[in-house]
Amino acid sequence: MFSYLSRRLAMGLATVFAATIAVTLLIHAVPGDPVQIMYAQSQGTTPEQLEEIRQRLGLDQPIIVQYFSYLGRLFHGDMGVTIRGEQPVLDLILVRLPNTLLLAFSAMLIAILIGLPAGFWAAAKRGSWTDAAVMTAAIGGVSIPHFWLGLMLMIWFSVDLGWLPVAGGGPLSLILPAMTLGLSNAAIVARMTRSGMIDVMEQDFVRTAHAKGLPKAVVEYRHVLRSGLIPLVTMMGLQFTYMMGGAIVVENIFAWNGIGRLAIDAIFQRDYPVIQGFILVFATTVVVVMFLLDIVYALLDPRIRRS
Amino acid sequence: MKTERRFLKFGAGLALGLVAAAASLTPALAKDIVWARYGDIDTLDPQKATSTLSLQVWSLIYDTLLATDASGAPVPNLAKSWDVSPDGLKYTFHLVDGVKCHDGSPLDANDVKYTVDRAFNKDNPSVTQASWGPISNVEVIDPQTVRFDLSSPFVALIPFLADSFSSILCDSNKDKAGFGTTTAIGSGPWILDSWTKGDKIVLKKNPDYVNHGKLAQNPGAPYMDGLIISVVPEPQTRLAGLKTGAIQIAEPPLDDVPALKASGELNVISAENTGQNVFWEFAVHRPPFNDERVREAVAHATDVQTALTLIYGDLSIPEQCPISRGVFGNDQDFCASHRAQYDPEEAKALLKEAGGWGPDNPLEINMLVWTGGKRDRLAEVFQAQLAEVGIKANIQMMDIGTMNARVRQENETPTGIGSMDMMTWSWYDPDILYALWHSPGAYRGYTSPELDAMLEKTRVLTDPAERKAVVQAVMAYLLDHSIHVPLYTPGWEWVFAVRPEVQGFKVAPFVYPIFNDVKF
Repeated sequence: MFSYLSRRLAMGLATVFAATIAVTLLIHAVPGDPVQIMYAQSQGTTPEQLEEIRQRLGLDQPIIVQYFSYLGRLFHGDMGVTIRGEQPVLDLILVRLPNTLLLAFSAMLIAILIGLPAGFWAAAKRGSWTDAAVMTAAIGGVSIPHFWLGLMLMIWFSVDLGWLPVAGGGPLSLILPAMTLGLSNAAIVARMTRSGMIDVMEQDFVRTAHAKGLPKAVVEYRHVLRSGLIPLVTMMGLQFTYMMGGAIVVENIFAWNGIGRLAIDAIFQRDYPVIQGFILVFATTVVVVMFLLDIVYALLDPRIRRS
Repeated sequence: MKTERRFLKFGAGLALGLVAAAASLTPALAKDIVWARYGDIDTLDPQKATSTLSLQVWSLIYDTLLATDASGAPVPNLAKSWDVSPDGLKYTFHLVDGVKCHDGSPLDANDVKYTVDRAFNKDNPSVTQASWGPISNVEVIDPQTVRFDLSSPFVALIPFLADSFSSILCDSNKDKAGFGTTTAIGSGPWILDSWTKGDKIVLKKNPDYVNHGKLAQNPGAPYMDGLIISVVPEPQTRLAGLKTGAIQIAEPPLDDVPALKASGELNVISAENTGQNVFWEFAVHRPPFNDERVREAVAHATDVQTALTLIYGDLSIPEQCPISRGVFGNDQDFCASHRAQYDPEEAKALLKEAGGWGPDNPLEINMLVWTGGKRDRLAEVFQAQLAEVGIKANIQMMDIGTMNARVRQENETPTGIGSMDMMTWSWYDPDILYALWHSPGAYRGYTSPELDAMLEKTRVLTDPAERKAVVQAVMAYLLDHSIHVPLYTPGWEWVFAVRPEVQGFKVAPFVYPIFNDVKF
């Protein structure tokens, strides 16, 4: 178990490292530099002064030098300051990261609370009208873009009914973005749960349980649901990381002050320290979630522990 | 079955709980003004950023030596008057008495000196240091008098001192940790309460504020208790917020403006004298735009008024000058007499003469356009107009960062198909033309020794009439040679939707919203 987890941890660290290199190379491949963007569209400083500013920020150095000096500072816990406004990058990220995590967790909770029973129910009623209705709704849920769903929810619940705030922070403001992100993921969870449960229902041990005369509910709850949950745990881990990505769109619609919006702005402004910081934190979060899942998976399935 | 019911019950219970929680808590009705914008400021330190979003907020917290009148001309503010030495090297400002910083300390000449010295700090100068001009020394003559010494004349200093880039910082800021992030001591109408990055800036009114020159009728402190500037990136969300009353002022989605105006649901205010200039420019170092006739043909082919009416209605207007309304030297009639006007027949004739091009044998070029603000659709109208005279323009949409790099790259590339772009610049002084067109040029585009000489004069002539003559000569040169073909003004972030109960909101020149008079 220990060697298994150490291997996974080492792979996780390598992933984070690779992500920072990839992003540094990619972002420098995009045309435009932050100093030029900062001064464009208004009375610029002279080209010589722009060069001076680039030198001060170290942007005149080759990418490889810029990357390693960034890495060097990083090992001292310094993520640098933004090119625009000279604000500490770590502070900017730390203010927003909890918001994105809260949104993704809440959405995940909604997805599980709706998707799991719906999928389970559809599996239990396989082939019936109920099954068809749940699965049709699920296809609809998967197909609806976040952008459209978010605006529709906002029009219904905020503008027409006046129940919820349009945007901003706070617990009430979390409901609409979490619903937007959660509902489409609930559809995915429902579909995966249904197929997982059907697989388990066809297993010999379930037939045996039925043959022993156990009540249907006991068979479904104790035997089918529990066995079917193991692959679902892995799937939900992946879903969570997708949600971190999906949160970027939803954050924008509902003005939810998350890390995704920070990243979008930084990309448009080519604010390299922010982009690098974002990727580092984002990749680390994903790696940590996957690592935790590996632990859960190992605990659930003894075969993995032994391998 | 039991299990299924249990799941269903739990799900239904949760849903009901959520709705009940939502219904029981009605949003508190604050009497503060809520102004929603698409993005956040970069910093509260006016010497460390350049974005309009930041400038607008600094103008609320800090005050400036000068202010602008409705036409965009500089007028007294913290400085009740100023003298310029005949050689244009010494500017003496006489400050008004009794101005207080937000921490209660008096604002005097020492604060002005602190501000300018900080901008010229060798280790970490202001990002707009160049715009202060060649200031070599700042002398505090007495608490109410301060003198700037320049190493060479620089007339763009005066309009700069009316802009928030030159916000006067109280010298008590230097002892404060977190200046620019958590603290910002100024003397403007609003005091910083808090800034939650990416979310909102909370300001409260400055009860000691006295208006010495800003474009507000209210002579004293703002009428409202507070001003919340919140970040709402999605235009439809801002509109929803305006409709529910959670937001009082915001930029609406441009597509919804006609319906909003027609319904009277919200008032729509367009900023005037923004200094924003949207124009055609060309990759002039290679064919076909190295030929003046082809550039002129583009100018003749473009029917700006029709395109604007189609896309923006009456929200934006054609601009004839390379510097827009509100900027010193702007003169519509003068510029119109030099700019090639809409004349498709003339455009066809010029294209035929230049390369035998025409509707049957079109000239293919690329047209670079900045994304957003419905510019894509405006570009399509221009594309159709160009097609009529025999120019096949391939529209390429891109973010402004990419476009800046691409325009320079196009100017530095000697081969390839022709390239023109719909560029957008803004500044409060004709000095913008120096930045754009003086060698080597902001994008390495058109330059000439003749133009350089004229542009250099625009920086040093202290007599307004003489300066205006040279500025006009520069504009005539740019227009006669179709180097900078002005299209329209304003061009971005200039429309404000205001809830009907809000009175007194106005936008000063160069897109500075004023909240001093706001009541509701």
